[in-house]
Amino acid sequence: MILEMKNIQKQFDGLEVLKDISFGVDSGEVVSIIGPSGSGKSTLLRCATFLETIDGGEITYMGKKAAHTNERGEAVYVHARELRQFRSYYGLVFQQFNLFPHYSILRNVIDAPIRVQKRSREDAVSTAMGLLAKMGIADKADAYPFQLSGGQQQRVAIARALAMRPEILFFDEPTSALDPELTGEVLKVIRQLADEKMTMVVVTHEMAFAKAVSNRVIFMDGGVIVEQGDPRDVFENPQEERTKRFLSVFER
Amino acid sequence: MTLETMLSLMSEGMIKTCGIFILTLLGAMPLGLIVALLKKSRFIVVRGIVSAYISVMRGTPLMLQLLAWYFGPYYLFRLEIGGWRYPALILGFVLNYAAYFSEIYRGGIESIPVGQYEAAEVLGYTRVQTFIHVVLPQVIKRIMPPVTNEVITLVKDTSLAFSISYVELFSQAKQISSSHTTFMPFVIAGVFYFVANYIVAFIMGRIEKRLDYYK
Ligand SMILES: Nc1ncnc2c1ncn2[C@@H]1O[C@H](COP(=O)(O)OP(=O)(O)OP(=O)(O)O)[C@@H](O)[C@H]1O
Ligand SMILES: [Mg+2]
Repeated sequence: MILEMKNIQKQFDGLEVLKDISFGVDSGEVVSIIGPSGSGKSTLLRCATFLETIDGGEITYMGKKAAHTNERGEAVYVHARELRQFRSYYGLVFQQFNLFPHYSILRNVIDAPIRVQKRSREDAVSTAMGLLAKMGIADKADAYPFQLSGGQQQRVAIARALAMRPEILFFDEPTSALDPELTGEVLKVIRQLADEKMTMVVVTHEMAFAKAVSNRVIFMDGGVIVEQGDPRDVFENPQEERTKRFLSVFER
Repeated sequence: MTLETMLSLMSEGMIKTCGIFILTLLGAMPLGLIVALLKKSRFIVVRGIVSAYISVMRGTPLMLQLLAWYFGPYYLFRLEIGGWRYPALILGFVLNYAAYFSEIYRGGIESIPVGQYEAAEVLGYTRVQTFIHVVLPQVIKRIMPPVTNEVITLVKDTSLAFSISYVELFSQAKQISSSHTTFMPFVIAGVFYFVANYIVAFIMGRIEKRLDYYK
């Protein structure tokens, strides 16, 4: 198992946003997380990527524990330096891309491998050029983010994350900031990664995409996992009332 | 007195004015960054001290601050202030300008979207790496216009050194003017400040252009 999250709890000033969430992701799995706005999907990804600290529960990557609850019921994390090791296990693609505007496209993709992973420049550049070619934007290597369309920027962001050779890649609504005609090109590369058995967790509102690409769908509402399973079962034969209600909005 | 002798007399003052200007920038620009970072310290006492420092520096006249730095040691501790004039002058300028620069830096740092920090954090950058390689370059680009303003103000503010009888360009112009009953020294000084600012604006404009390669 690549990632295991157990009994995750998270509050924001008294508001319980994640209530005892447990799920795991196996190697090669593509998991989609769907659910209404405010259900805690982003918070879950942010806890998995240590951008938020959990209040309780356990986070394990590759069998190594990054956080657990101690006997006093407090969540404790491993030391900062060790935590940085864990960061090499995953990548995160943001809704707003968050590319570094002062770096060229190539530099965006090679900087962390060189600076953080201490890889050689040649190695980083050849990896990066390969990834940019795969993303269909090799010709943009010397451009700057502001010169690219949103769809192209998001593909750079995916290349940047992949350049770190993560075991698992998280996406938080990767197409929500894009014009409809640009979402296709981003979904296409994610689908391509799925075909290559890249382990991924995708928070999305693109139901057709979730249904077509993922091995498992998790439906969240009110900070809990209401239902999960094979996409065909969840989409065509939802068991829970809340799931039915949520999905009916999309069918109209 | 010919224009030539007047110019050669005043060149000394020009050099001293340039000295104040350069030393102030060299001291205040880095110190301002330290102050800006201290203002974001997690220790409330540190934040409090820094806030008080900034508000005093910005809330009182620089001339008064120069007088306080120069005469303070004597009135407070009865210390001999013989060789203290120049250090007091530079200290006064640096501390005053560091306060202004720190506020400019802080504004710049706060304008960087949180997503930049988060992207860097997820990629495994340390906090120092994030600040130096991701945040600072973008801050520098954003603060160029207000920094230019501040530097231009400094060129003119150097004349405040006359308040503690440090003979830079402006004091010198005043002296020559009253001893030779001519207004010419002030004209020369005015041209000097104007040209200096022209050069400052030109250089800063070039730097801004240089940073124009991204948005
Ligand atoms: N930093 C924060 N401080 C306070 N409350 C927060 C914070 N982040 C999220 N919340 C709250 O937590 C709840 C869950 O937010 P979250 O962003 O995880 O939802 P989401 O499922 O991703 O929604 P969306 O589909 O709109 O992106 C919301 O009520 C939100 O207001
Ligand atoms: Mg969200």
